[in-house]
Amino acid sequence: MSVETMKVSRGGHLASKSRREKTADILCFLLLILLGLIVLFPIYWIFRSSLMSNGELYAYPPAFVPPAWRLENYSETLKSFEYLKFLGNTMTILLPAVFGAVVTATMGGYAFARLRFRGKKLLFTLCVGSMLLPSMVTLIPLFIGWSKLGLVNTYWPLILPHFCGGGAFNIFLIRQFVKTVPRELDEAATIDGCGYFRILVYIIVPAIKAAMIVVGLLKFIELWNDLLQQVTYITRRDRYTLALGLNIFRGSFNDDWSSIMCATCLSFIPGIVFYLIGQRYFVEGIVMTGMKN
Amino acid sequence: MTAISRKKRIRYNRSETQAAWLCLLPSVIGLTCITYLPMIASFALSLFSWNGLGDMKYIGLENYIRLFTRDTKFYGSLLTTLEYAGISVIGSIIYSMIIAMLLNRKVPARGFFRAVFYLPYVLPALAVYLGWKWLYDYNHGLFNYLIKLGGGTSVKFLDSSAMVTPSLALIAVWLSGNLIVIFLAGLQNVPRTYHEAAEIDGANAWQRFWKITIPCMTPIIFYNLLMSLVSNLQVITPALSLTQGGPGTGSYFMCFMLYTQAFKSHKYGYGSAIAVILFLIIAVFTGILFATSKSWIFYEGDDKE
Repeated sequence: MSVETMKVSRGGHLASKSRREKTADILCFLLLILLGLIVLFPIYWIFRSSLMSNGELYAYPPAFVPPAWRLENYSETLKSFEYLKFLGNTMTILLPAVFGAVVTATMGGYAFARLRFRGKKLLFTLCVGSMLLPSMVTLIPLFIGWSKLGLVNTYWPLILPHFCGGGAFNIFLIRQFVKTVPRELDEAATIDGCGYFRILVYIIVPAIKAAMIVVGLLKFIELWNDLLQQVTYITRRDRYTLALGLNIFRGSFNDDWSSIMCATCLSFIPGIVFYLIGQRYFVEGIVMTGMKN
Repeated sequence: MTAISRKKRIRYNRSETQAAWLCLLPSVIGLTCITYLPMIASFALSLFSWNGLGDMKYIGLENYIRLFTRDTKFYGSLLTTLEYAGISVIGSIIYSMIIAMLLNRKVPARGFFRAVFYLPYVLPALAVYLGWKWLYDYNHGLFNYLIKLGGGTSVKFLDSSAMVTPSLALIAVWLSGNLIVIFLAGLQNVPRTYHEAAEIDGANAWQRFWKITIPCMTPIIFYNLLMSLVSNLQVITPALSLTQGGPGTGSYFMCFMLYTQAFKSHKYGYGSAIAVILFLIIAVFTGILFATSKSWIFYEGDDKE
């Protein structure tokens, strides 16, 4: 009898607990929807502004949905905003730089994770330590260096540095991933007569592909956003990147917000496309790093 | 003693060493030529007066003396930078922690939501700032419309020196989707058993949050705090793209001052002195964080606290 009551009361307790949890989950879900809408709203507002005329934009109260979809705004904007050329210039910098960063970061991460050599600890400390060093401090000397080499206004200062390890964080990230690959695989390959480089190419690289994609995407976003370096090194208009082009376009179309929003939306596109392609790896990659040690 | 000396005599395999250095060659070149040497050069350059063309003139600490005693904009720049970093770091840590906690629950369409909150981070910075400038517009912007709708008076978000820094910092919070992903990864590593055990002991959700989630997350909070502090103290893009440092010294961030002095006024020595001060400020902050970290970071398997 007493056992029976206990069972019932415990069951009742569990039921009420799980009901509470369910309510909490629903509340969280609603909160997420609300916050998500708030976060997305600026993007929607920019997009909606790109489809309206300036007259409509200046009307009060503002229309939340464009009265008419003026897609011709885009063809109009493209006449004065050299989108494809700027995009081409941007990719001329980004693609080699991302490639260089992924390759050299993988090499560095592999060496730190697997190979034993004198001075490894010191080098690794210097490497991780450089994450905390403000990159702004190197700006002036590097600019002087590149201008001594006569390479200002070329893309070299924006590309070559990324062939030098691809940044401490990326080396570190690759190292963490390589450490998760079972050593037995290396050993088996060694017995089969593989050298260190063949192990890297045939064993490690296939196993850490996700991490390499993450590094590529992180690098892509970083360079994409790095207005400072582009402003510093590129002053010739025909070499302008998308960001520089957009900046100058904004300057010459001062209050023409409709065109400016069109140009803004156009420069959103490549970022969104790359993100959609890499999104799966991205989250997976960051989660797998786990920030251990 | 013997153990130590034996350890020191590890024989490094020659071919392994060669492979390692070959693999690390690009990184070593990078660390030397684009990180540490330029950094030293910055320190040296800050003791000179140089316009990039003529002779370099050694002037000792004159650049620093001028910054601290005669440059009328320097303190404004310093305060603006600290204010921006303070608001954006604290704001984005709290914001992304909340979103990560929500995403860590059993809710439908988690992947979709994660993508939504991450999206601002992947958009090109300049375009983001342009878009927000339009949202902040005094006469026709969305925010001022909403404020007027609620019965308030229009705010000069970017055109008043008091509001410009918080307004730009808000954009930084909106952009902080990368922190969410890192927090989320951390939350998923918090052992479920801790929560279950606490629940059996009768701890409510609030207590569990403060006594379990937060302590388990301290290493990740530390990492995010450190990284966003270092990057936000180096803020320059919004000033470069939108405000040109104004109004007044409202967004005259230290990096923007450095950039203007070096590349617009061609005072490379003076710019380097600003770089060195920025370096020292960041060093002090990271120093404080590391020094206090022992007392508030909880490592699993660590007995004290």
